[in-house]
Amino acid sequence: MKAFRLVSMLALILALGVATTSCKKVKDADVQTAVQTALAANPDLADVSVAVLDQVATLTGTVQDDETKALAETTVAAVKNVKSVVNNLEVVPPAPDFTEIDAALNAALVDALKDHATVVAEVKEGVVTLTGEIKKRDLQTLMEKVNALNPQQVVNNITVK
Amino acid sequence: MALVDKYKELVDLAKQYGVTVSDEGNVLRVNGEVPSGALKDKMWEIYDRIDPNFKSNDLVLNVNVKAIEGGKVKVITRESNLNIRKGPGTDQPIVGKAAHGDIITLISKANDQWWLVRDNDGEEGYCYSQYLEPVQ
Repeated sequence: MKAFRLVSMLALILALGVATTSCKKVKDADVQTAVQTALAANPDLADVSVAVLDQVATLTGTVQDDETKALAETTVAAVKNVKSVVNNLEVVPPAPDFTEIDAALNAALVDALKDHATVVAEVKEGVVTLTGEIKKRDLQTLMEKVNALNPQQVVNNITVK
Repeated sequence: MALVDKYKELVDLAKQYGVTVSDEGNVLRVNGEVPSGALKDKMWEIYDRIDPNFKSNDLVLNVNVKAIEGGKVKVITRESNLNIRKGPGTDQPIVGKAAHGDIITLISKANDQWWLVRDNDGEEGYCYSQYLEPVQ
């Protein structure tokens, strides 16, 4: 009888021990892998890094806007065994792409400069640089036309005659 | 000196008519519509006075006179006739001419630069909008 009690006690201790170990079995490395997989599914989160410690996921790196920053957090929080998320992501807006703007400006400048054959325009990153020469009385007309194209800036290097 | 201070007279006038003014550090942007050609001319006169020959490269003055489709516009070329073209672009064939000072009809705006007009002979086509000034 005594022996049986001892055995059952031992069994209980063992069971508890196993239970405790199985709780501790969540490995941060596994969680980290799972989080990285979740992040990899979204190309907007390509520059996000994660470190997991005691099931707390800390996010570092950059995203392009606040919305994506919040999305990264919810994505990670939804991963199994993530207790909480520390969101240290930095929002860095992408550098504007002037390809289309420059093309539109170049096209519009053909018309704008048509009556000003002695003026040449160059476009770079939305900035229109004017060179050549012009009569004073035509300068304002030209400037009105170029400003109406709403460039980032007008650089006037024209010689006024 | 901040650009809003340098161009204070212009900024004050712009704000009075609800024209947007934004200071982007190296460039002051003035964008919007004004009710009359006289007001637009006034703004350009102030610009030229503060920054003679527009040499400082620190202002983008994009103000246009509010134009109503179906309304009248005046041809404001220096003295020459204004080409009326088949389509919106200087590469398009000329289908007619409007004389300097003529008042013609704005049918619609193809874009900010090219407006579809009808001249007083009933000819329709596109003109460069900078040579047209809406009249009330």
